[in-house]
Amino acid sequence: MKREILCEARHVSHDFKLPNGKPLRVLEDISVSVARNEVVALLGPSGSGKSTVLRILAGLIKPTHGDVLYKGQPLVGLNPGVAIVFQSFALYPWMTVRQNVQTVLEARGVHRADAIERAERSISQVGLGGFEDAYPRELSGGMKQRVGMARALVVDPEILFMDEPFSQVDALTAESLRAEVLDIWSTKERNPSSIVMVSHDIREVAFMADRIVVLGGNNPARVRTVVQNDLERPRDYQSPQCVALIDSLYAAITGSELPDVTSTVAREPGFVEPIPNVSPSEIVGLLEFLDARGGKGDVFKIAAQTNHEFGRLITTVKAAEMLNFVDTPKSAVLLAPEGRRFVQAVPEQRTRIWREQLLTLSLFREVTDVLRKRRSRSIDKDFVLETIVMRMPQEHHERVFKTFVAWARFGELCSYDEGHGTISLYQRRRAHQVAPAPQHPGSGLA
Amino acid sequence: MQRLLSEVFGQLDRARRLPWLDLLLIAGLAGLLLAFVDLGREWTGVHRQSIAIDLSPSALPRYTMFSLFRGMFAYVISLGFTLVYGYWAAKDRIAGRVLLPLLDILQSIPVLGFMPGLVLALVALFPHSNVGLELAAVIMIFTGQAWNMTFSFVHSLRSIPADLREAATVYRFNWWRRLRNVELPFATLGLVWNSMMSMAGGWFFLMISESFQLGERDFRLPGIGSYMSVAVEQGRGDAMVLAILAMVTMIVVLDQVLWRPVVVWAQKFRVEEGGGGEQILMHSWFLDWLRGSRLVRWVRWRLRELRESRATRDVTRATPAPSALPTAVERNSRAVSFAALAFLVGVLAWGGVKLVHLLHEVPAGAWGRSITAGFITLGRVLLSTLIGTVWALPAGLAIGLSSRLSRIFQPIVQVAASFPAPMLFPLVIAVLQWAGVTLGWGSILLMLLGTQWYILFNVIAGAMAIPADLREAATSYRIKGWQRFRRVYFPGVFPYLVTGWVTATGGAWNASIVAEFVTFRGQTLRAHGLGAEISGAAAAANFPLLAAAILVMSILVVAFNRTVWRWCYRVAEERFSLSK
Repeated sequence: MKREILCEARHVSHDFKLPNGKPLRVLEDISVSVARNEVVALLGPSGSGKSTVLRILAGLIKPTHGDVLYKGQPLVGLNPGVAIVFQSFALYPWMTVRQNVQTVLEARGVHRADAIERAERSISQVGLGGFEDAYPRELSGGMKQRVGMARALVVDPEILFMDEPFSQVDALTAESLRAEVLDIWSTKERNPSSIVMVSHDIREVAFMADRIVVLGGNNPARVRTVVQNDLERPRDYQSPQCVALIDSLYAAITGSELPDVTSTVAREPGFVEPIPNVSPSEIVGLLEFLDARGGKGDVFKIAAQTNHEFGRLITTVKAAEMLNFVDTPKSAVLLAPEGRRFVQAVPEQRTRIWREQLLTLSLFREVTDVLRKRRSRSIDKDFVLETIVMRMPQEHHERVFKTFVAWARFGELCSYDEGHGTISLYQRRRAHQVAPAPQHPGSGLA
Repeated sequence: MQRLLSEVFGQLDRARRLPWLDLLLIAGLAGLLLAFVDLGREWTGVHRQSIAIDLSPSALPRYTMFSLFRGMFAYVISLGFTLVYGYWAAKDRIAGRVLLPLLDILQSIPVLGFMPGLVLALVALFPHSNVGLELAAVIMIFTGQAWNMTFSFVHSLRSIPADLREAATVYRFNWWRRLRNVELPFATLGLVWNSMMSMAGGWFFLMISESFQLGERDFRLPGIGSYMSVAVEQGRGDAMVLAILAMVTMIVVLDQVLWRPVVVWAQKFRVEEGGGGEQILMHSWFLDWLRGSRLVRWVRWRLRELRESRATRDVTRATPAPSALPTAVERNSRAVSFAALAFLVGVLAWGGVKLVHLLHEVPAGAWGRSITAGFITLGRVLLSTLIGTVWALPAGLAIGLSSRLSRIFQPIVQVAASFPAPMLFPLVIAVLQWAGVTLGWGSILLMLLGTQWYILFNVIAGAMAIPADLREAATSYRIKGWQRFRRVYFPGVFPYLVTGWVTATGGAWNASIVAEFVTFRGQTLRAHGLGAEISGAAAAANFPLLAAAILVMSILVVAFNRTVWRWCYRVAEERFSLSK
């Protein structure tokens, strides 16, 4: 049966403008369609551009390339039937619950008496009857999101857009909200006929979505795979089919984020591996975690056990892998010999091992080589920034620089003087000069 | 005991139901009306060659009222200017590129330099009534009030959280709904605080305009400022004390009856940060009182009824759902904005050309003299700031670090900071003359009089903001005395100190124009400096020289702001910020 397509994006690519004026490609060749009566989820780790795709479909952002269609016609401006539930709720703090809901009706020219009635109905629909005259600041996160839902539902949207709607809501409330959203949606004769949601929670999308679009990659992100989910509702997390689906989603994401075979393009001369924005202590934490659990673990189990968003954890694992501390066959994470040596070493040795591993990365090698050649043993911050911009044009150079400094400091490879903006080779102060390095060089304000 | 208490409260409750509250309110409104009539008569009254001030205490309330209304009138204009200019600058990116730097320049140039020219021009425009002088006073006050309010408004408009803006777009708020429901509420808190500061700054200019004399000519207006200046001329100590008392009363009453209620009301527009609920909210007895008034309740109820009835009649007026395409209104507004910008740029260009022509007439020697004088005045400005810092830094730390002292002194310092120093100028000059101090040194004291409070005020705020854990850590590691000051307190208050310095030097530059050139008991005293150059050129109606001197001062101020203060700000933000 061919289903009516409500809204779709065809081969959409999008560029952000960096502060230095250069475009940064964040989405590449994304095609997503939303049919009538379905729940579509955009799944991916943070920074994979899910929210941008949602905003493109909603008509808030015009993509740089590609087409957005609404019922077969090119979309101009806002999507006609749009209503968005925001991650941060986006309620106006100076308006009561009632005013927040009612004002969007008035903005559409619904006359007041009608608006009052519809707002009232919508508020009680999400279970907030009695809270009409409360201000958002008096409500808990879950209740705020109910207001956000009431505000969205009151305009009778054909498609309900939800941007990580439950990520700032406590776990139990989120559970009940998910079921309630599905209840409201499942009344077929009433809007919203379809839902598009953004999520980084695999279990959430397995529970809610009919179709799951897995996004991956960082600047630009691409559609990795689309998974159809035909499990019957209401779904049971524990059912074998659901567990199998969750596992296959895990595999799809790990496959794209932590490829087993290092891609061959990565070794061209002049190529510098992008360094993931992870702090050394997170990497060390991961190694300690693995060491305490027999040297191996599973990405998603670790994410659950350490209360990490899995996207963040994957980035950390990637960073550890770059430093040869772990191996990642499939979704497993194994402590590599170098990693084991590191964890079991005393602090002084740890620093040395970290430094050795840093020097296997070309950015660190390049910068240290230049530093050694300089008589002053120091270079300008801008030099490193330029190297980053030249070698990793796709990365956010300030962020990479911050990570560079953090890693280099941790390995006692370089020091960075923020006041002067210079990087120099690390030199240990003699014990009889100053015992510990002062936190603020010359903080007495010369 | 319990019964007694409940009885007393019961009595109070019944007393509240008596309409004396409402009677008082009606009396107040009637008084306001009378004041307006009197004011109108004063404005349109025949212009006098010199002022006649009645020094009797019974005349003082009327003069106070005149001063108050000038300030309020200017504030209303400032607010209107803020809303229009700020909205324009924030909404139209292209216009913003012209409007914001312009605002920055307007904020840094010493506007007092324009006063002589402005007064002469407006008096010439209305030769037969007081309108010209009154307008000049109002415009001067406006120039002391508007800029920081406008900056605050633009900043608020630009920092509305992205999700609130997106929600407004998704739910199709048109520009008016967006302004009323999103932008204005978001900007209210900042606007209210800046309004309070502006009002305090406005009194400074008010006192100067009211007691303005230029050489032989007397441009004084009836008000507290002229009352004070006449009292000093006649050596009437009692009248001086009364004038100062009247000013302080006005500041305190205005704070209690206007600003405090407004601040309390504006608290509903705060955007909560994190947990929330722990902020200490302010209270206002006056607002509670107003809310308890039956008259006010009745008016509010009627208004609501009116709104509702209009809403039900709205059916026919219900607009069709706005389309996503840019509407005709938006296209028109773009055209209007462009035309207005073109006009503004045209006026600026024309003014620039005129200025260049005017400056052509200035002899080279005069330029050199102005620049030298400029550095002398810079020296005075910095010296006054230094003296202010030397006493205000320790005093501010002492007050801010002790909750007991800050409870006592905070209100006093607030009043002192709002008190317009120029009111005291005649008195101080009289004392200086008696002591034989020349105006060259004396003018430093005059500058200090107005600007030290900014430093003190900011240091107190900074000291109060030093986190308790940093202080506890210092105590537990026995960091004491000088080391404690150098390592903990000074870095802690430094960002606030910089703000205090910037405000203080800005005020000092302005003050130099009236402090270095003084008309006192019919004779003119002048110190060598750029402020005196400006006032002197204005008094001699030497407009090319006036323009040159103002230009030199503006450049000096802007250059100093762009180099020294910007550097200080950067240091404060990068090294001493406690929020990072």
